[in-house]
Formats: sequence, C-alpha cells, structure tokens
Amino acid sequence: MTALIEAVDLTLRFGGIVAVRGLHFAVQERELVGLIGPNGSGKTTTINMLTGHLSPGSGHIMLRGARVEGMSADRFAARGVGRTFQITQLFSRMSVLENMLVPGLARPHSTHVAARRQARLHLEFLGLAALEDLPARSLSGGQQKLLELGRALMLEPSILFLDEPFAGVNPYLRDEIIRLVQALHAEGRTFVIVDHDLEAIQRLVQRLVVMSRGEKIADGTVEAVRGDAEVIRAYSGV
Amino acid sequence: MRRLPIAAMAAFAVLAFAYPHLVDAYWRTVGTLAIFYAIVAASWALLVGYAGQFSFGQMGFVSLGAYGSALLVQWLAIPFPIGMVAAVLVCTVVGAGIGFVCLRMRGPYLAIFTMAFSEVLRIVILTENEVTGGAGGLEVAPLFHSRTVFPYYYLALALLAGSLGLMGMMVASRWGLFFRAIRENEQAAAAAGVKVVRFRILVFAIGSGVAGLAGTFYAPFIGILTPDIGSVDQMGEVVAMAVIGGAESLPAAVLGAFFVEALFEALRAYGEWRLVIFGGLLLLTMRFARNGLLALAWEQVLRLGPVLQRARSIGRPAES
Repeated sequence: MTALIEAVDLTLRFGGIVAVRGLHFAVQERELVGLIGPNGSGKTTTINMLTGHLSPGSGHIMLRGARVEGMSADRFAARGVGRTFQITQLFSRMSVLENMLVPGLARPHSTHVAARRQARLHLEFLGLAALEDLPARSLSGGQQKLLELGRALMLEPSILFLDEPFAGVNPYLRDEIIRLVQALHAEGRTFVIVDHDLEAIQRLVQRLVVMSRGEKIADGTVEAVRGDAEVIRAYSGV
Repeated sequence: MRRLPIAAMAAFAVLAFAYPHLVDAYWRTVGTLAIFYAIVAASWALLVGYAGQFSFGQMGFVSLGAYGSALLVQWLAIPFPIGMVAAVLVCTVVGAGIGFVCLRMRGPYLAIFTMAFSEVLRIVILTENEVTGGAGGLEVAPLFHSRTVFPYYYLALALLAGSLGLMGMMVASRWGLFFRAIRENEQAAAAAGVKVVRFRILVFAIGSGVAGLAGTFYAPFIGILTPDIGSVDQMGEVVAMAVIGGAESLPAAVLGAFFVEALFEALRAYGEWRLVIFGGLLLLTMRFARNGLLALAWEQVLRLGPVLQRARSIGRPAES
C-alpha cells in the first residue's frame, strides 16, 4: 500500500552539523503517529522538511507516491499537508476569523462565503467562536495553539503535523487538545505529533517513532518502544 | 456604522473638486503637487503598510516613469497617453524584477537594496546627459495648452482616484488578506497555503507601477525633469507623508501627503527649520502613534458614528 507520506533516506546538514541523517519514515492514511526524542534529536527539522519549510540535503519525500522534496511550503499546503509550529506562529494583528480565512481563501476555487462558513464551523468545534473578532495576539497561549490548529484544519489537510502541541499549556487545555485530536482522528484525519510530554503522547498515539542525534532509533507500538533499550539509553543520556 | 466614513469620503471628494476654485494659483500648484505625492505615498503604503516590504525605491520608480514616458514620447513621437501606459508597464516589470531579486531580503536589507536601485538610477540619469539632459534637466512638452494648472489638477485627481480604486480593491480582496498575512508572518502564511513568492512579486510590481504612473504625470506637469526627483531626500519626504498619515491605510497615507505638503508650504518662512519640525513630528508619530497621526484621528472620527447614533436615540421619544 502506498504511504500517505514517506521520508526516504532524508539527510540535512547545517554547516558541519548533521541535523537529520538517513531517515526512513512512512505514515499511512488514518494513522496517529508520535515523533519523540530528546532535545536536538532532529524532530522539528524532520517536520520542517516534511512540510516544505526546509529542503533536504539528500533523500526523497514521497506524498501519495509522488516526489515532492524541494517544493515550497505553500505547495505542500495545497497538497493537503497542514502543520502547527513549535512556537505558535499566528498573524498576530489580524482577527481570529481572518487567521482562519487566510488558508480558506488560499485554496483554489474557494469563495468568501464558503470559507467564512467553514471557518466558523471550525471555530465552533475549537471553542473559539465567541472570539472571532478579537486580534489573535489577545488570545491566551492555549487559545493561540487552538487557533493555529484551526488554521491548519482550514486547509482540509490529509495529514497534520503538530509540533509540540502540549508545550506550555495547562492540564485542562492539554486534555482538551487530546480530545480534539482524537475526534479529528476518528473523522479519518492522519496526524504526526511531536512532543516532549510522553504521558500525553502515549495516551494519544498508536505508534511511536523515536529519534536521537538525527537518526531514527525506534519505530513501533507504544509498548514496544517503551521497553526498547536504545530508547531508554537515549532518554537517560547514558 | 459605515455611513460616517462614506459621508467623510464624499465630503472629501467634493472638497477636492472645489479646491482649485477656492484658492489662488500658488496653492493650486501646491494642491496638484500634493496629489502627485499622495499617489506615491499610497503606493508606498501598499508595499510597506499592507505587505510589510520596506522599500526605499518608490521615488526611483517615479523617476523611471517620468523619464521613461518623456523619452518615449520624444523618441517615438507617440501620443502622451501611450507613452504613459508604456512607462507604467516598464515600471511594473522592473518592479516585479526587483521583487524577484529581493525575495530573500527582509527589513533593512530590502530597504538598502531598493535605495541602492534608486541611487544607481539617479546616477545613470545624471551621467547619460546626452539622453537624459543630465543635471541640466530634460525638457518635457506640456500636456495641455491651458495657461492655468486646472487641467493638471483634475488629471492628477483622476489618477489618484484610479490608483486608489485599484489598490483599494486589491486590499479589500483576498489578495489584501494575503498581503497582510505575509506582513505578519511569512512562514505561517506559506504554511497556510499562501503563495508567498508570487504575492511578494505582485505587490512590488503593482506598487512600482503606481509610483511610475505618478512619475508619468509629474514629467509634463513640472516641464523639466532633473535626476533629483529620485533622490533619497525625496524618498524621505514620501516616507514622512505615509508614516505621519498612517502607512497601514491607503486613505491615511493620502491625507498624510496632503497634510505634510500643506504644512511644508505654510512653514516656508522658517526655511530649513521646517525640516527640523518635520523630523520632530516624525519622531513623535513613531513614538506615540505608530499607525500614523491621521489614522489615529480617523479612528476617532469612526467612533463618532455610534456616539451620534446613541445621542440621536436618547433624543428620540420612547416608543410605546
């Protein structure tokens, strides 16, 4: 079966530092995958390559079997690859609704009426409907994370990469994000989630991919990965 | 709510039409020059205020448009409107080229690059005196046979209305939303599917084309073109106009141009001290009203709408 997205021998160097080395990694349709690893293990660099924000030095990225490496981020977005960022990236001085409308109207053949209706549906789903006229910068940190998720949903993505969605959010909001991701996954969406919050990520995902020093060191079910000696070594720093 | 701005714009349009009949020849010329600067300031506001592309090259494009149209008309003996359209097209294409070259440049780097473009152009015009007349200037035939400035004034007003209409439609459309998204966060805009490269080039091309249009008007109006039109000093004046008015709003940038030009003339008796006054005004604006002094005043006018509505409803007898 063709993977929804696949990294084939991806490598990226920044000067003399190898950020990602020979990464092989495939995500199937409707999967919910966790991508974990200690700080500096190359998780965000991997996401940046798989969403078009960085071009790999070598290797391929296959999206539904077609090579897409080197394409710009907007072309990845147009092909249904959505993402959120480690540090929330919003259009701060634009309203919540305008933040949602940008991806809605960037889609080909979209209309203002349809985009607005879709935006309001997503805002309702995320519990942000009452805030649609507020500037994005006036939202709390957690609400900004939700808005960023909503903005990615406006692309009607076939796969969503969430980069540290639980970082800096309170336990209530963390549970809310887990609930929302589960609901979206149940609707048939595919997710790759990067986070340090192992407790949260273990509650959520079916499969874990572990990276250390730019390389994949484990890939399997949560139980299998938890007992993996190399993973324990990477996390304990031994 | 929307009635007040429309009423204000209608009042402004009536005033603009009546203005040349209310003042003497000197202030008529000042008014025409103010409209010319208003077009340039609005084009700069589109680039900087909406799309966040800090260009220092608008007066370079004015210069290109002015010399381009004048030389095309002289060399090819074509009617002025055709020369005008051709020069605007040249400015648009060159602007798109600069937009493409500057794709990876941000903030000060972009400003320095565009300033260098203007300076290179100014020096080329200065040096190629056999073609451009150099420092001695290039004489341009008048566009109208009238001895008064009236036709120029109304032509400038029509060009301002046209360019504001075009840019206004753009910023009110989805393109305007994309420009603002790029201004706010390019990375997020790309992740949201906005074709960042295409829209950055587009806004550069249109901003340059509009500045070139202002230049094509300036050439026959002023009668003699000198390379100084594209100087950094002139660009500083345009920046001051847009910043004092409000660079994130096209009407505010236009009003800023009128305000600064009028004040500049009114303070003529103070000689070079005028520049000090303007510098101070610019500093105060940047410190206390980053969206512009006139944009701040405009916001207060907009707030008057609901206040007047409330006052009217209080005065009205209660319905039984």
